[in-house]
Amino acid sequence: MTLLEFARGPAIHWALIILVAGTIWRLLGVLALTRGADLSRPRDAFGNYKGYRTVFSRAWPSGEFNVATRYQTVVAYVFHFATLIVVVGITAHIEFIQSLTGTSWPALPNAAGVAVGIVALVSLFALIMRRVTKPSIYCSNRGDYITWVLVAAPLITGLMAFAHLGPRYETMLAIHILSVALLFIWFPFSKLMHSIWFVFSRAQSGLTYAHKGVQI
Amino acid sequence: MSTSTAVTAIFPTFEQVCQGFAGQIGMLREMAPKPTLADDVRVERAIDTLIAETNAGEAVWLESCIHCGQCTTACHFFQATGEAKYAPMRKMELYRRIYQREIGPFRWWFKLITSPVKLKDLEALQELVYDSCSECGRCTMVCPMGIDTASLVHHLRSALVAAELVPPELAALTAEQKHRGTIFGASSDALLKIVDTIRDHYGVAIPLDKPSAEVMVLSSAVDLVANGNGLLATARIMNHLGVDWTICSDGFESANFGLLSGDMALWRQQSASITAAAQRIGAKTLVIAECGHAYPALRWNPMVAGGALPFEMVYMSEYLGRQAKAGRLNLTPIEGKITYHDPCKTGRRGGAFEQPRAVLQAMNADYVELPSGREYNWCCGGGAGIFLLERATRLRDESFKIKINQVNATGATTVVVSCASCRLNFEAGRIKNHWDKQVASLVELVADHLIDPPAPAATASQPGVPA
Repeated sequence: MTLLEFARGPAIHWALIILVAGTIWRLLGVLALTRGADLSRPRDAFGNYKGYRTVFSRAWPSGEFNVATRYQTVVAYVFHFATLIVVVGITAHIEFIQSLTGTSWPALPNAAGVAVGIVALVSLFALIMRRVTKPSIYCSNRGDYITWVLVAAPLITGLMAFAHLGPRYETMLAIHILSVALLFIWFPFSKLMHSIWFVFSRAQSGLTYAHKGVQI
Repeated sequence: MSTSTAVTAIFPTFEQVCQGFAGQIGMLREMAPKPTLADDVRVERAIDTLIAETNAGEAVWLESCIHCGQCTTACHFFQATGEAKYAPMRKMELYRRIYQREIGPFRWWFKLITSPVKLKDLEALQELVYDSCSECGRCTMVCPMGIDTASLVHHLRSALVAAELVPPELAALTAEQKHRGTIFGASSDALLKIVDTIRDHYGVAIPLDKPSAEVMVLSSAVDLVANGNGLLATARIMNHLGVDWTICSDGFESANFGLLSGDMALWRQQSASITAAAQRIGAKTLVIAECGHAYPALRWNPMVAGGALPFEMVYMSEYLGRQAKAGRLNLTPIEGKITYHDPCKTGRRGGAFEQPRAVLQAMNADYVELPSGREYNWCCGGGAGIFLLERATRLRDESFKIKINQVNATGATTVVVSCASCRLNFEAGRIKNHWDKQVASLVELVADHLIDPPAPAATASQPGVPA
């Protein structure tokens, strides 16, 4: 078995199994906990449901914090969208997804894919630069840096493989796929789970404040 | 029973009240109970408390933080000092570690890779959850995950109660309220005495311990032992409204040091004495005195089934706002430009925004909102018991400068507050900074602007004001 066969075979498949099983385990482990009872009377009889708006409204900071949060918010949005486009827009990725699910869609032109990948990588560097230079604001821990490395690695190796940089193509591709496997394995144990938690966390706070008649 | 405006004032000014309190607070430190339990027992009790109080909601918040740092822009203590340890997200690091080791889905793993919590960890936490967090909730407004750090801090305070690690001033008052039912010695006798003084000197009647009344009004230790003008103002307004009201000597204290320290048993006990008194007299409305945290302590007390109670609980500013909107408050216009500071506990964490503004409107105030007002209002820095902590003086003083700038930006000459704690903190800040603004309490402002009928009108037997 070559390195590429290992990466495309057992490595990525086991990584996917760990990703799915770990995510479900962590989600259920939290959501199965007891629910705190708030017996106080809500301000409006059905007002609590308005709290769910926070799940959507918190997608962008309020005008109050616009200036202070602009850099972080804009760069984070650029990173998230660029990464998403690369993940689902490049021919090789679509072929991989098709091999798993049977569905496919038209791919981006290669040049566009590379451009978006570079944007994602640059924005990721912009985020880490700020994190490193402002330690008191970020209170970073090991998990933050491991996560950054594991997110940056597939972007870097993917761009290198595409551009035929570094080792020969098959080896570079294998390294790229292995880096994705590591990212998948890391996902359920890390802050990457915020991609799911944000819905629950915003809803929980939205409901808590809506109970008192406050829109947050 | 209308008040004469020509009576000589006998109660101290609020500046004197504020200075007097400083001496009293100093004595509290001597009176604080000392820890009695072994170190390992204290740690165990803290961990057990957090395990018991952590539900799915808290877990989701603990799981969600991505260390994006945005909460630091919202926190007055971080903004005032720039010190990393005051970052809101840092306050829950220890909570998260305990959660991950004891409750979280991967606890077997975290028990291997994290170290057990020690007493020194909890000791270090004290400054983070008492001195430098007023549970104001402003960081929740910016957090992209919406994490409610204030709620998590409250649980951490409960854990520190279990670990006998409450700061001395709060510990002394918590012990006093728990064992003697008073705060600063404000007993039912003290209430009786001040009621007599107000009647004899000002000719203002306070119906004490009526067997039944439509409206039950609370007072607070601040009014009873120091600021008699607060209770006097309350009585004048209630009499002006002509409602059937009373104060109960077995349930008059708004302040709840169970909530402030994190002692859930005291929180419950103190609330129960008030709700029992209100039920006994058949009250329809319970008016909570201008004591910010008393609003969440009673109205939003998660342990009190509010819907099942035969009365509703309203904050003083809410009650006054309703009366103003209904045209029942006959008030003279107010001079000068006015702004209003929403106390965190009644504003962002209470939802009583419109009513105090309605009161100011009823006085035709030249009203101007604070920049970053309402839900986004900056905490004054004295909430959640911080005003009482000597050790937190620097944090309070530094963060109050944000407040000064915020108020100065409005051009107002008077800032109105509706919370004794905010008011004490504002007054202390005003004196220290030689600030040229006036700080007024909403209830005293209303009392000062009442147009009482020429003849004695309040017979205290008119039907109560419907909710």
